[in-house]
Amino acid sequence: MATDTVPAPEKPATLAGKAAFEVDDRLIVAGPLRRTLNKVFPDHWSFLLGEIALYSFIVLLLSGTYLTFFFDASMREVIYDGSYAPLRGLSMSAAYESTLDISFDVRGGLLIRQMHHWAALLFVASICVHLLRIFFTGAFRRPRETNWFIGIALLVLALLEGFAGYTLPDDLLSGGGLRIFSAVFLSIPVIGTWVYFTVFGGDFPGELIIGRLYILHVLIIPAILLALIALHLLILVKQKHTQFPGPGRTEHNVVGNRLFPTFAGKATALLFIVFGLCAALGGLVQINPIWLLGPYNPAQVTAGSQPDWYIGFVDGGARIFPPWELDLWGYHIPPVLWGALGIPGVMFGALALYPIIERVLTKDTASHHLLQRPRDVPVRTSLGAMALTAYIVLWISGGNDVIAEKFDLSLNAMIWFGRIGLLVLPPIAYWATYRICLGLERHDREVLEHGIETGVIRRLPHGEFIEVHQPLGPVDEHGHGQLAYGGASVPKKMNQVGGARRAIKGFFKPVEEPAEVQRQAELEARGLEAERADRELTGSGRPSEGGRPSDGGRPQDPRD
Amino acid sequence: MTTTDHSRPGSAGGADVPGPLHGGPDDDHTPQQLAAMDRTELDRLGARYDGVEVLHVEPVAPPGSAVDRQNTRKVTLWFALAGVFAVVFLVIYAGSGWFLPDWQWPASSNTWSAIFTPLLGASMGLAMICIGIGLVLYVKKLLPHETAVQDKHDGSHFDRVTTGATLMSGLDNSGLPRRKMLRRTLYLMGAAFGVMLIAPLGGFIKDPNKGNPLGTTPWREGMRLVREDGTPVRPGDQEPGSLATVFPPVEGGDHTVDGPVMLIRLRPDQMETLVTPAGREDYGYGDYLAYSKVCTHAGCPVSLYEQETSRILCPCHQSQFDVTQGAKPVFGPATRSLPQLPITVDDEGYFVARGDFPEPVGPSFWNMGRLG
Amino acid sequence: MSTTNASSEVPSQGARRGLWRRRAVAGTPASAARDRRRSKQRRRLANVAGLMAALVLTGVGYSALAPGANAADDSTGNPSNAVEAGRELYVRSCITCHGSNLEGVEDRGPSLIGVGEAAVYFQVHTGRMPLVRQEAQAPERAPIFSEEEIDQLMAYIQENGGGPTLPSGDLRDGDLAEGGELFRLNCAQCHNFVGMGGALSSGKRAPSLMDANDLTIYTAMLSGPENMPVFGDNQLTPDEKRAIINYVQTIKAQADPGGAPIGRTGPVAEGLVIWLAGIGSLLFGIFWMGTKA
Repeated sequence: MATDTVPAPEKPATLAGKAAFEVDDRLIVAGPLRRTLNKVFPDHWSFLLGEIALYSFIVLLLSGTYLTFFFDASMREVIYDGSYAPLRGLSMSAAYESTLDISFDVRGGLLIRQMHHWAALLFVASICVHLLRIFFTGAFRRPRETNWFIGIALLVLALLEGFAGYTLPDDLLSGGGLRIFSAVFLSIPVIGTWVYFTVFGGDFPGELIIGRLYILHVLIIPAILLALIALHLLILVKQKHTQFPGPGRTEHNVVGNRLFPTFAGKATALLFIVFGLCAALGGLVQINPIWLLGPYNPAQVTAGSQPDWYIGFVDGGARIFPPWELDLWGYHIPPVLWGALGIPGVMFGALALYPIIERVLTKDTASHHLLQRPRDVPVRTSLGAMALTAYIVLWISGGNDVIAEKFDLSLNAMIWFGRIGLLVLPPIAYWATYRICLGLERHDREVLEHGIETGVIRRLPHGEFIEVHQPLGPVDEHGHGQLAYGGASVPKKMNQVGGARRAIKGFFKPVEEPAEVQRQAELEARGLEAERADRELTGSGRPSEGGRPSDGGRPQDPRD
Repeated sequence: MTTTDHSRPGSAGGADVPGPLHGGPDDDHTPQQLAAMDRTELDRLGARYDGVEVLHVEPVAPPGSAVDRQNTRKVTLWFALAGVFAVVFLVIYAGSGWFLPDWQWPASSNTWSAIFTPLLGASMGLAMICIGIGLVLYVKKLLPHETAVQDKHDGSHFDRVTTGATLMSGLDNSGLPRRKMLRRTLYLMGAAFGVMLIAPLGGFIKDPNKGNPLGTTPWREGMRLVREDGTPVRPGDQEPGSLATVFPPVEGGDHTVDGPVMLIRLRPDQMETLVTPAGREDYGYGDYLAYSKVCTHAGCPVSLYEQETSRILCPCHQSQFDVTQGAKPVFGPATRSLPQLPITVDDEGYFVARGDFPEPVGPSFWNMGRLG
Repeated sequence: MSTTNASSEVPSQGARRGLWRRRAVAGTPASAARDRRRSKQRRRLANVAGLMAALVLTGVGYSALAPGANAADDSTGNPSNAVEAGRELYVRSCITCHGSNLEGVEDRGPSLIGVGEAAVYFQVHTGRMPLVRQEAQAPERAPIFSEEEIDQLMAYIQENGGGPTLPSGDLRDGDLAEGGELFRLNCAQCHNFVGMGGALSSGKRAPSLMDANDLTIYTAMLSGPENMPVFGDNQLTPDEKRAIINYVQTIKAQADPGGAPIGRTGPVAEGLVIWLAGIGSLLFGIFWMGTKA
């Protein structure tokens, strides 16, 4: 027994404490656990979009695993003899039959199947919204380019995964889509016919493709997705989340909530909400009614043939591309290559390379942990609006026959709308967005200089009417504010600077007495003044250097 | 923490004797000091050690006040509601076919089987959403609002330099930089090994030119045009202005991708404006024409015949082909006419093909013009 | 009928009788003028009354004596009457575009020779005919003619032009699954996999089958209206047509086991739902959960 060691610490008394001690004794996890629990996450609403994607992925994994226990990924011909009468006696693939069985003969199977499909649509949609947020706030800048690349890879994989997934049932609609997919391979110069035969194991459709898509869909792509998502989150945690500029926020800190219990509570809540939304949609809104579509037959097709929404822009590109075929001395490059591979290739390529493009163009090589408001980067925001407009034109063109039929428009006119719109609308969007950004920037600076417009009109003694403005900070002798724009949002309403009194709670009758509320408000006002006295701003705001962020002029967090 | 029998080798373990303390924060804070602190102080201490400073904490409402009680009631209500919905789900799920009507699908409509899935989805969805709402309300109204700040650390120069040194000295020790022969052998070996690993993927590759599958279809001279039920077609079977899908009479002929053919009978006024492409004057039979049903754009079955405008519209990408002009594409992304099947009538009066299509059927591809 | 009758006048009882009635004294020039005015008024009154009486008498007389308005519609059991009535309807509503002998008018309407009563039933029963104006496609409307009038038109056209006739019996007497296969092979490419309709080129459409009854579907297949191909009885036999109709009507009436069908049109509607309902409601959720600014 050495005397330079300190006696053993107090032993835990409760059962949980004892269990925890046993675990830590073996694994030594207390330190990393505390570090994880103490991690600070900023809590702006737009930072939750990526979580929606993550949680819909979890829904996909769980519901998908359930489906694998019932689905038969075989193209073997069978004669249907199940519950659904209008298809009884017809020959179909085992894949289609097993999907019918899930829908009609497994208790709750249709719910899980529809949940899975809705979650897939939500997964890609939330990735896109998350991508837009990252793009427009500049979160992809150094040091987060790697995470951006991983994100683009996740998006492309999600598209492929979704395509493979909705093709598995081998119904009329998805089989047609698979045929178009094969034609895209065929159109590749030089090696196209080889790629086509390799993928399908012969001519379309062959007997292998559903099985191959199945393994891609349940094993290979989910494994890559899981790995990339893990890496994506790991990098995020390592680099810490970005934050909007604001009081006390610098490039060297993160202001927000600790992971435990606040952030974890909200994250878990969002998990349940996303799961609940998928379940609600899965039961209440029908999706992909394969029994109405019928089994795939290469000689049959339905009006209104579309892929799922996230492949819509590829289909739209194929539809509006003009009939320009390159004929090189007997060798052909058909237009479906440009429309269906070229456009997405350019789009994803530009997306993936964008951080590098922007770095080269702006010569900005510094690390950034503070985000930018979209209005403060008019060029990037306008480029994004332009790209989004082009995407939306392509997306609408993917459904142009349904739109033409529902709204009584000419189909040929819709094609021309797509062709011309793709060229004309994006530059217009660029210009309009640019002007709007400039206007918003100008307004921010105007409010900083002249104060908030209170809406209160006052008549001066000599008859002039003026509107009373509330300055946001100290003013010079001309009455102009001296605050510089810091990248944070400028309060534009009196409510945002605490101009409204605290609300009285209660629906039918007040929970607190009005007098009580008044008293609380006075106490808070006095408390605020007391704080202001000992407030000081240090250079970095680092807690370790004793600095504290100030609260001067800070817009109040809404309490509800 | 002691083992009782120390006579066997390896029976005296490390747990018997407490080792030296961990180092780091354990050096700065003795267990006695830590025991003297309350929970909040310990929490702040640990946080500060992790670079996190808790700035201010404020409860939403004073504990025990009316507002606090109301908030607690709200949160409890939401969780209770979630439980109720979960039970509803279980009742519907397990009870269908038992004390509730059967959920199995009949051929008629508007029965319990039609609302089974919606009820399941609604109850499960509401249960989950209520939990989510309850949790959010818990965080917003029952947990104290806390704002914390955490340091960011830049990369450590010490780490970079020492790690670099470790890596490079390992490389130096291996002697690889100066062992040129070994290095070169390693490169070549690596290349060969890598290719060896991916070589089995060659099993996927299939030759698209063997037997010219892309340039030929099942159609041959003398084959009857048959319907999906296998019956052959006579010229009297169709009215002017009609379209029928016909297949080659081979095994699985109604499921081949390049076999389906559109047999179109033109109306007299369409016959008047008919322009037959050169070399195909004898491809039709009277007012009958046969075109491949596979679109030359991306392979969908073309199918939509507009008998008044003489257009065949493909529903996939809206290519339009004019039947009276040799199925030439007149709108949309298609660039090639639909291949025409030469037909005639055999001795028994049924339609037969006079041979295969003169050109490849379906979407264009690279060496289409130079096939076997 | 009015006469001047000076002697019938009431002797004045004073120069002023009321504020507004001034009587002239008898025998004065004023009273003579008054007498003339009076008689003129009486004449006018008599004229009007006489005219009214004449009108009423004429009307009563006409309705009593003229033949009933429905007298021409006694076509039941009397074919020639139906054809004739049909001819009258044709001359009133159809002749402008289809010609006096069903031969058609250039750039206005096709010939009706050989179209048969099936075509007439389809076009008139769905309100497409009479056509309001020339456009990409005749739109479906409420029918103008009554059932009886449609029968008459059918009789007239069939008598004078011939062509496919209406089927009889149960039009759904066919195999459900076979009907589905036939529908998907021959009909789905224009009308969509369950008959919700689809777009054709340049503003035309293959209409939704949701409002179509059995006979409408049958006669459409048989007559091939406008751009729809003709499906003669040798191409799709009457049994096969009945199978298709069975399938269409069964699917129409069938409930959707997966919840709200959102139009049964496929991924376009599904994409709309996920963005509006899905992302939309989640955005509200995260606005609530997170902070702003």
